[in-house]
Amino acid sequence: MESKSQEGKVLMMIKINLTVNGKRKTVDLEPSLSLMDFLRDTLGIKGVKVCCNIGECGACTVLLDGKLVNSCVVLAADAADCQIVTVEGIAEGDKLHPVQEAFIERGAAQCGYCTPGFIMVGKTLLDQNPTPTLEEIKDFIYGNICRCTGYTKIIEAIQVASKQMEGKGGQP
Amino acid sequence: MRESEFAYLGKDIPRKGGVERVTGAGIYAVDLVLPDMIRGGVLRSQYAHAKIVSIDTSEAESVPGVFAVVTAKDAPDVRYGRTISDRYMLARNRVLFMGDPVAAVAADSQKTVRRALEKIKVTYRPLPALLDPEEAMKPKAPTLHEEVPLPKNLPKDASVKNVCSYASVHIGEPDKAMSGADLIVEETYETQMVHPHYLEPRTVVAQCDNDRSLTLWVNSQSPFHVRSEVSKLLELPVSKVRVLATEIGGGFGGKSAGVASSASLEPICGLLAIKAKRPVMVILDKAEETVATSVRAPARIWIQTGVKKDGSLVARKAKVIIDTGGYSGQGAIVAGRTTQMLAGWYKIPNVHVDGYVVYTNKQVCGPVRGPGGIQAVFAVESHMDSIAARLGMDPVEFRLKNVPQPGDKTLGGLALRDVSLRQTIEKAVENIGWGRVKLQANQGIGFASTSWIEGAGAGFGTGALVKINEDGSATVLIGKVDYGTAVRISIPMIVAEELGIPIEDVTVLNVDTDTCPWDYGTVGSRTTVSCGSAVKLAAIDARNQLFVIAAGRLEVSVDDLEVRGKQIQVRGSSAKAIPISAVAIAAHSESGEVIGRGYYDAKAVLAEEKEKGTSPPFATHAALVEVDPDTGLVQVLKYVAVHDVGFAIHPDGVEGQIEGGVVQGLGQAMVEQIVIDDKGRTVNPTFVDYLMPTANITPDIDSVIIEGYLGEGPYGAKGVGEVPCVPPPAAVANAIYNAVGVRIRRLPLNPENVLRAIRDQKGTH
Repeated sequence: MESKSQEGKVLMMIKINLTVNGKRKTVDLEPSLSLMDFLRDTLGIKGVKVCCNIGECGACTVLLDGKLVNSCVVLAADAADCQIVTVEGIAEGDKLHPVQEAFIERGAAQCGYCTPGFIMVGKTLLDQNPTPTLEEIKDFIYGNICRCTGYTKIIEAIQVASKQMEGKGGQP
Repeated sequence: MRESEFAYLGKDIPRKGGVERVTGAGIYAVDLVLPDMIRGGVLRSQYAHAKIVSIDTSEAESVPGVFAVVTAKDAPDVRYGRTISDRYMLARNRVLFMGDPVAAVAADSQKTVRRALEKIKVTYRPLPALLDPEEAMKPKAPTLHEEVPLPKNLPKDASVKNVCSYASVHIGEPDKAMSGADLIVEETYETQMVHPHYLEPRTVVAQCDNDRSLTLWVNSQSPFHVRSEVSKLLELPVSKVRVLATEIGGGFGGKSAGVASSASLEPICGLLAIKAKRPVMVILDKAEETVATSVRAPARIWIQTGVKKDGSLVARKAKVIIDTGGYSGQGAIVAGRTTQMLAGWYKIPNVHVDGYVVYTNKQVCGPVRGPGGIQAVFAVESHMDSIAARLGMDPVEFRLKNVPQPGDKTLGGLALRDVSLRQTIEKAVENIGWGRVKLQANQGIGFASTSWIEGAGAGFGTGALVKINEDGSATVLIGKVDYGTAVRISIPMIVAEELGIPIEDVTVLNVDTDTCPWDYGTVGSRTTVSCGSAVKLAAIDARNQLFVIAAGRLEVSVDDLEVRGKQIQVRGSSAKAIPISAVAIAAHSESGEVIGRGYYDAKAVLAEEKEKGTSPPFATHAALVEVDPDTGLVQVLKYVAVHDVGFAIHPDGVEGQIEGGVVQGLGQAMVEQIVIDDKGRTVNPTFVDYLMPTANITPDIDSVIIEGYLGEGPYGAKGVGEVPCVPPPAAVANAIYNAVGVRIRRLPLNPENVLRAIRDQKGTH
């Protein structure tokens, strides 16, 4: 059974260049496509998780030119000529990032749905502030919601990763 | 550091599936992509209560890109429900709350779905909306469910309407005993509607094959219930419905209870797939979930207790109204739980509790973490504090005075084998610093204790299969689903322990209803207890089969053998050994592949509990708060949660449940609420103003595991998934009273409600 086509309507598409996890891409996009849907559905990058769709929970957090954003409220078209990093882009080949290792070691991922968002936030915090206090950690991560862990082991994981990374000058 | 004779048990092994979660693997239902998959969406009622006069789908069907539009006329005339079948998968003739599904569309994109949904014309005749359960109970109230008779067990003198279930507890002679009390305290408490709001949206993908078999991918905690209910609602044989459970991004009960918790999304999606002849994926919006899917039922509790001057409890009477919403949902079960827990776990020889489950035109009661418990314990534990204050007694001393003794009977009639309650109270006192720590102005400490009243032998049993592969690894088939609880933590540890193989060599499969053993679902704090026991027995069964073959090869008796390091060896002598892999391969040509089978026999456990007594999982929490009397803001500075878990198979995993449960309980205690206007419309459905705890307001949680009071689970383990969620509202309310002398009897304890209570108190004094 064929679906009926959108007769008479010409969809305006925008062509953009961007880099995603180190790979350059040239794509044609619908202007209203969110960065989240672009990454998940067009590129198949599932580490960007879909939840509230209105920028309130942090599950879809990615790095856009080094800045943490909720990709569900960013237009993909606005990411033209930008560098996007998702959780799939922070490991070094088979070697997980210290924050990822710490999340495993501390049992900080229960259902795991918020985990990619928190890992992006945790990594970014430690890149900016390698030895954060407990208050500094809480202040930085509270834009991400977790419903399973009560945050205790997530905070512990960031503290463990901080010690791991201490003296190593942070990760690129 | 405790000593352990186990290789794995009692240790903090990284959970299986951890790597997938930290690398963002697409393991959830929302990540599914099927070839030729199209999208679907649901049209829901615009009125809290209305007759459906007509539905015109013709314009919607003509929208380019639409594959199917369905309403009740496309579905069999079959109802569903947990205790009362009062609900249709798509509303038929009338709607009973604003989330009620009325129609659904399948189309080539989410945009087209939305466009088509807008074109469906529904003509409603609005009816008066009943939003208050006590109003709904009045004799002059309109009847919401004409077809549902009043419960047969209602008290003879009850003159009520819209009551779909009734539960009660009666022990001794409460009226007589109450008149002999030195002091009687009577109060009313109220808890609010909240949503479990797991982060991963409810998702269903349905595909219909040419032979009319339906396959559903669901993020459900109870895939077998989904199968049987979809089969019933679409009138397909069970054998023609296959449910594949994905890994789940949070559930908390809100993704259990078959199709009810999703407002029948599974059969709706199935119907779309059948009509569209393409696989259909429906993902609910989180705001849609607030309005349409399972909630924790609001409750109103009247509680009266009589005590002697010395603090001993003599009698309790209570009445609870469970506001179950537009359909019966889980209301009866919640009421059963709440009425039992209102009688409590303290020694009270005379009790009478009435529980009414009432229809209103709001969201439907579903199972949500600790169902009925959080409602009851907010009342009971605040009330205990209130009584202590009036007696001039220390609230801790008052609780300790009424702690039951081993041998005392619990409500269910089981005798207590041991009682860890005292120890949990004393440890909470110690860790929070009650009587020791110097409190600043407007600071206070509050306690709340609880248990989980179900015996380990309640409910269904659980089955498990363990297959031994030719490399000596094990594949585990169970009916339980991974959403961060025991399934990929304690379950594989038990199998690894019993088979003497590394944990890396144990794989737990995702549930496929075609191949895995039937299960009632990953609910009720039962995975470690029932499924853990089942996999232990299955692993032992597999091990025994391996021993028979190995004994022949090694020319010894099976009794001489043990497993260690992937080998089967003569006890204490690794020299005489044979690899498990070799035995597994030998089995292929001798007895058939080694498949161990285990069953947790709940009936047998119950019988043993009847004979030897039960050991409930007591817990005591303590909160240290600071109240700002000018703004009503309450900060929890410190929180202690002491839990008797019998034996902690995975201590970090147990702590994770305690910490997460406490914060979910604090959510209900302090920030969460579904607000409904006078038309029955939810005014805060999105995360913008459905508030949930974030890291900056969450206290440091000191979780303490108490072991030694062994339970019925494997190695003496007890369940812990729900209990931690239950005490926080009372603990915080009691702490607020200790801080500023104001007792607040409704939730949430947010600044608005706290400030109002402070000002009301000033006004009356």
